[in-house]
Amino acid sequence: MITKTAWKNIWRNKVRSLVVIASVSVGIFAGAFSVAMMEGAMYQRLDDALNDEISHVQITAQGFRDNNDLACLMDNTGNMIDQVRLLEEVEAVSGRIMVIGMANTATKSTGVQIIGVDAENEKALSGLHSKIKEGTGGYLDPSGVENSALIGVDLAKSLNIIRYMITGEVIDSLALLGVPEAVTGKLRPYMDIRFKNEKAFKKELKPVFSQKEEIRYGHMIKEVSQSYREGARFTLTFIDREGFQTGGRFRIAGLYDIPNNMFESSQVFVLRDDLKRLTGLNEGENHMLMIRLKDVDDTREASQKIAAMFPDLETMNWREIQPDLAMLEQMAKIMYGMFMLIILAALAFGIVNTMLMVVLERTKELGMLTAIGMNKKKVFRLIMSESVFLSLFGGVIGMIISKIIISLTATRGINFASYQEGFEAMGYSAHIYPHIGNDFFVVVTLMIIITGILSAVYPALKALKLDPADALRTE
Amino acid sequence: MKVLELKNVHKIYNTSHIEVHAVNGVSIDFEQGEFAAIVGPSGSGKTTLLNMIGGLDVPSEGQILVDGIDLSALKSSQIIDFRMRNIGFVFQSYNLIPVLTAKENVEFIMNLQKWPKAKRDGRTLELLEAVGLADRIKSRPAQLSGGQQQRIAVARALASKPKFILADEPTANLDSKSTSTLLEIMEKLNRDENITFIFSTHDARVMKKARRVITLEDGKVVSDIIH
Repeated sequence: MITKTAWKNIWRNKVRSLVVIASVSVGIFAGAFSVAMMEGAMYQRLDDALNDEISHVQITAQGFRDNNDLACLMDNTGNMIDQVRLLEEVEAVSGRIMVIGMANTATKSTGVQIIGVDAENEKALSGLHSKIKEGTGGYLDPSGVENSALIGVDLAKSLNIIRYMITGEVIDSLALLGVPEAVTGKLRPYMDIRFKNEKAFKKELKPVFSQKEEIRYGHMIKEVSQSYREGARFTLTFIDREGFQTGGRFRIAGLYDIPNNMFESSQVFVLRDDLKRLTGLNEGENHMLMIRLKDVDDTREASQKIAAMFPDLETMNWREIQPDLAMLEQMAKIMYGMFMLIILAALAFGIVNTMLMVVLERTKELGMLTAIGMNKKKVFRLIMSESVFLSLFGGVIGMIISKIIISLTATRGINFASYQEGFEAMGYSAHIYPHIGNDFFVVVTLMIIITGILSAVYPALKALKLDPADALRTE
Repeated sequence: MKVLELKNVHKIYNTSHIEVHAVNGVSIDFEQGEFAAIVGPSGSGKTTLLNMIGGLDVPSEGQILVDGIDLSALKSSQIIDFRMRNIGFVFQSYNLIPVLTAKENVEFIMNLQKWPKAKRDGRTLELLEAVGLADRIKSRPAQLSGGQQQRIAVARALASKPKFILADEPTANLDSKSTSTLLEIMEKLNRDENITFIFSTHDARVMKKARRVITLEDGKVVSDIIH
């Protein structure tokens, strides 16, 4: 009867209750959607890092990570790879040779890490082969020409390999992408002018567009105007096994494009055989074995097994290789909880206010209820139930709206293309796919109930302090 | 059988250094089945006396015994439970729960006492029939007239078969026809259920119906007439 009465009571003042319910719904939706965006971005970062950059587990010789010494090798890695492949948790294994060197073009040079990979094995391990920018070529081909390299788009830009040029085709492409004539028209005076790099291109066009146009279309214009000659060449120089400077002229097989700008601008992938030949390393020698697992949740167990198999070597899992990623995962859950706590705390004040008005308005009725025999526990339960119903009703609506909108946006994602540079500078993709687990909703439901209960405490205590005789005299 | 005994009951209020004797040495007893009215001018102490009898207020001096149990000996949690089981209330402004139907209002106290559903439904229907509102089971108070609401309030007060009913000015907000109907019903229930009714009233029609009239003046009983 108390529960039934409480439910009916919240609809006494429909407008007020609907306002409270709406505020709770909006608050929950805002919180859930923000968490979904943050979680989507975080999982994407983690996914990208594990798929494209570091994989799940790495084995190196002791001391290799300290100085990337070329001589710090593992030998007989063929045998090791076969042994690791037998583990049921393991999906793929591949060996890598790694040297620090310089990438040079006629006009620019920059320090890079050169990674010699087994192209076929790498495809099972890393997703880079599917991240080749359209129109720039393809992945490394072992049956192709000697000395081919896969470099990042950002590295290509910093080496001035990517140029910028406005052509008729560029303007047509921009029109197809929805850039209005008023904007593309401003590009016509710059047709057929080749800009040697992004900086020069942006400097020239900055005065042409308004800030709004720059934010809205700048990124698109930059992307479409990129001009790259397939098969462009550059030089890689490094130190060989004997300590002599060596290197070679490399043809760019393709440009890979991933959200992590720092990785893109520093990691060059070449065929293992090419690098082995140039550095003087032997067959079976590798600096690193990269291991991909079937399930990321098996990481700890699998890395312990692998470490036990090779006690003289250093085995590290992704949490140890990039503790900031591991911390991100752990911190994220705490942050989401605190975020929702803050939102619910703010909503609680609204509910407390509403319940105080309820107690004030129903002073006489509460006096009557006490007079006819409703004890303090039941009066408290009545007020608390009304508060919980208000919170829960609003919370459920908020969660339903969140679930619908997150589901709708999860497939297509939300593209923050205008802020792509900023995102990629931090290693994040600008195209975010909101994601939220069902356990979030369970936790939020509990938090809402607790909020409802706590919001009721003060108003309920006010109700309990009422003297029934005085309350009955109220008009 | 004495259902209620008041022994030298006083109620003194201290307001701004002045002592107000709202009830001043009242000693009266009520038997089972009485139909009594407490009358007097405004400020004579009727409501204060009724509040103390109902356990809503505590006497400054004296004792109030309900079925031999001293109300002042009960703790506040015990007194609420005691009220629920032994005392019925009918208020001047009906005080029905507006969101509940007539049926739900009547069975409210039975629900608090955790009566089984079948027993509860039976008693509710019986009382609604007794007050002539069996056809308005699903009506909410806003859909009922003042007289009808007060009848529902009487049914609610009787629901758990209390020792006595306290009615504070029950006819004050009713027209004459509703008053007559209400008084007839209360009289009938008094006879049929043998439940004591104690009214505080200004209403001459109530005084006329009452079989005992206790007159208060300045907190004292000045007359106690049994018809």
